[in-house]
Amino acid sequence: MNRPVYLDYAATTPVDPRVAAAMAQCLTLEGEFGNPASSSHSFGDAAASLVERSRAQVAQSIGALPEDVVWTSGATEANNLAIFGVAEYYRDYGRHIVTARTEHKAVLDPCRELERRGWRVTYLAPAQGGVIHADQVAAALEADTVLVSIMHVNNEIGVIQDIAAIAAICAKHGGARMHVDAAQGAGKCAIDFNRFGADLMSLSAHKVYGPKGVGALVFRRGRGSPVHLTPLHFGGGQEQGLRAGTVATHQVVGMGLAFALAEAQRAADAERIAILQERLWRGLSSLGGTWRNGDAKRSVPHLLNVSFEGVEGESLLAAVRPDLAVSTGSACTSALEEPSYVLRALGRDDVLSESSLRFGLGRFTTELDIDTAIQVVTRAVSRLRRISGA
Amino acid sequence: MNYSELTLHYFQTAPGAGVLAGPDVCRGSAGARAQGAWVQFDLQLGGGSIRAARFLAFGCPHTIAVSAWVAEHAAGRDIGAGLPESVAALSERFAVPIEKRGRLLLIEDAWFAALGACQTGS
Repeated sequence: MNRPVYLDYAATTPVDPRVAAAMAQCLTLEGEFGNPASSSHSFGDAAASLVERSRAQVAQSIGALPEDVVWTSGATEANNLAIFGVAEYYRDYGRHIVTARTEHKAVLDPCRELERRGWRVTYLAPAQGGVIHADQVAAALEADTVLVSIMHVNNEIGVIQDIAAIAAICAKHGGARMHVDAAQGAGKCAIDFNRFGADLMSLSAHKVYGPKGVGALVFRRGRGSPVHLTPLHFGGGQEQGLRAGTVATHQVVGMGLAFALAEAQRAADAERIAILQERLWRGLSSLGGTWRNGDAKRSVPHLLNVSFEGVEGESLLAAVRPDLAVSTGSACTSALEEPSYVLRALGRDDVLSESSLRFGLGRFTTELDIDTAIQVVTRAVSRLRRISGA
Repeated sequence: MNYSELTLHYFQTAPGAGVLAGPDVCRGSAGARAQGAWVQFDLQLGGGSIRAARFLAFGCPHTIAVSAWVAEHAAGRDIGAGLPESVAALSERFAVPIEKRGRLLLIEDAWFAALGACQTGS
């Protein structure tokens, strides 16, 4: 049986075989399996050396310094460490945070938890196309704002935010640290941590052909206006006391190599994928009654989000599911789920929000995959429209 | 979401999707697309019974599958009768999750709206 065409690279990517091979070298007796904190013998030294090489690879790929990189279990933990870490450390300076309604739940949920604990949070509504403008952030800042958290690339619609402009506003404010969830942008867009001017940045390996279960929080330390964090974990002092727990050598080796490969292939990948994305959009839009969600001129090529008039979201997903692996803003799959809050924030009504498909393109996507996707979606939408009399 | 084989079969084949025309056809609908579900039945009558039925449905796979099954099993039924099977039995037959049982009531409403149109001659 043929597997469906995989177009959900925004959810996760397969591990690059070169990455998997490097990781495997860190697991067995013949490889570098030592505990990187075991400085009393060469096994530990060898593992520590790999960990530091990986840290340097990640740092280099985003224009940061190796000492800025703290390993985490993924972007969700990095977001939590950034948000709770800053909020707790600077709690005597202020208790106000600014973020956007279109952030990932890994940012929104920590913010909601802080609200429960007494912090105030301003949730910015995106302007047309999903963009958060710097002047919106400026208007939301208060005297006691300690953190602004705005994602680099939106995970549902692919819109790229102007992080440098927002970070400049925060720098002018003085007390507001700027955090960026860059899980979707890293490896796909050029990122220069220093040029961005952000104070903290969350990264994930599995969106970049690395393994699940590892990420990093990058933040400015020991120069300029260093950022301080209260740690979330205690118990071993690893990662300079900011993230206790044995560093998983194989995981960080995977992340380091994945980021190095992504940076080396970024321009070529982006060019090829942009052509595929355009081919996909042209094919889908010929159906009519199709809406592209997000500002196309400010989006990454790897992600295309489309709403289809005249079809119900759950049925659309069920109809394409045998042949196509995509995700949806739909959700009448259970009484607890709601239409995409991101698309609703863009002003889409519930029906259009639910009838959207998110296509995530990646390194291994082919022209044939795209043509198959167009054919499958066209057939499904046309059939569902006929059934509904649309 | 997982669907039963029967649900997938009727969702994928949707027998009876469409409309009927003619002086002996009556039509009824319920729900609204803007609210996520809408169903319409066309019933062709003859000799006090239903000779043919067609449906249109905007909704989840369960809504489409059950509407298709109802339309398929309508022929030969007395126009005074209810759905070919009760809502409870349909729910069991198609393994409809509890949070979606409202969709079956919508289908029943559309069915009775069509029958009502038959009886009022509209």
